[in-house]
Amino acid sequence: MNSDSLVTDLTLTMPQTPATPQAQVRFKGEEGRLLLLLPSETESGSALTWIEVWQQLKQRLNSGERFWQPQTPVHLIARDRLLDGRQLQDIADALSNAELQLKRVYTSRRQTAVAAVTAGLSVEQHSLLTHLNQTENGQALAEPLYIQTTLRSGIEIRHPGTVIVLGDTNPGSSIIANGDVLVWGALRGLVQAGAAGNASCMIMALRMEPTQIRIADFVARAPESPPNQYHPEVAHVSGGGIRITRAIDFAKNQLTNDLV
Amino acid sequence: MLLGVENRIVYTAVEVLAGECRLDQALVKDKRQPNLALLPAAQNRTKEAVTPDQMKKLVAALAQSYDYVLIDSPAGIEMGFQNAIAPAKEAIIITTPEISAVRDADRVVGLLEANDVRRMHLIVNRLRPAMVEKDMMMSVKDVQEILSIPLLGVVPDDEKVIISTNRGEPLVLAQEGSSLAGIALNNIVRRLEGERVPLLDLNIPDDLLSRVRRFLKGSRS
Repeated sequence: MNSDSLVTDLTLTMPQTPATPQAQVRFKGEEGRLLLLLPSETESGSALTWIEVWQQLKQRLNSGERFWQPQTPVHLIARDRLLDGRQLQDIADALSNAELQLKRVYTSRRQTAVAAVTAGLSVEQHSLLTHLNQTENGQALAEPLYIQTTLRSGIEIRHPGTVIVLGDTNPGSSIIANGDVLVWGALRGLVQAGAAGNASCMIMALRMEPTQIRIADFVARAPESPPNQYHPEVAHVSGGGIRITRAIDFAKNQLTNDLV
Repeated sequence: MLLGVENRIVYTAVEVLAGECRLDQALVKDKRQPNLALLPAAQNRTKEAVTPDQMKKLVAALAQSYDYVLIDSPAGIEMGFQNAIAPAKEAIIITTPEISAVRDADRVVGLLEANDVRRMHLIVNRLRPAMVEKDMMMSVKDVQEILSIPLLGVVPDDEKVIISTNRGEPLVLAQEGSSLAGIALNNIVRRLEGERVPLLDLNIPDDLLSRVRRFLKGSRS
């Protein structure tokens, strides 16, 4: 029943790179408003430049705008990122194009606070060690990230939870998630589920033709010769390697396993 | 160079922006087409000599007197590319049907989307129908599958393109209907203008062998 349509390759040593919450631009709903979280400048190791932050913001805006009510207030959590007046204005403009309103800025940098006040935004300034960093201690996964877009070459999505993509993921793109990865479309790029080490995570796609898939420490790549036809498939870890099962069979197996 | 006007260039865009000459002094008019003019970019200076904001101003000035302003983007996604897309309202993505080229094009489409250039069209260049037939080259459908943007046209690989660029005589101005690539380019322009022109039939005349091959392929799936 299990079709080993992927070549599992355990000889590869894989770097453990869990998707930290601070790594990328992220939106988060909270009590009727949206929080826009910017990656930290110092903590995440490789600091992102403004251009990268900007492109991530635009990409997240473009791929999720269906879900936001018009005129939802947005609170910008800038952490220790330095933003000048022009960058704040760019963010406000991008948000208002998506019919969102930038209302408030939280920052730990004095210069950012001054720039925000000058731009006429309300500001809350606090030191680095506040409630915003408490997420580091908790082990709970973040809420799932839902994106409706084609993930194109060069785009990397890192999310400390489950990622759902409505669209294709193209060769050259990558998704690194601490939870499951569901692709409602063709999976052609690199996908890693359970990046923090959870081997019970799964990868699901309507059309599984990946460059490479990883679950926790396991790595698998696509076979040299592509299959004749594609079915919706599920990749999961069992018996010391990544296995690919047709979605229909997988559901049946899971059910029987639960009964035993 | 391709228009054969290289020897008539006096000023470039950089000099216009520096205020060293007027815009119309830098424009080089084509001798065959009175409505076609070229604004050369500086070859000697680096692309960082121009900023995206300056490009916007320049193109806004040009748009007052011309129907279409075509901005030729340099290869890659560096500063020159950022300059080229800053004033753009729509984009035409030109790619050859090769995996590496399509991968680059995919990245460019992503960056254009991020910069709010939403209207995009695809031209597949240098297609060789005979190779596609034998499964040795990506088909137009394969390219579209990845890029998922509307198709504007397909230009077949044609020796005449190389000859015409070497001579500096645009292919489309050569005798009407003399080359398949020229017709394809003309059709692309007509489609841009809103006309509905069917895609050219690029298939080579059927011989027995290719018919047998197609039959076999059909029965396999």
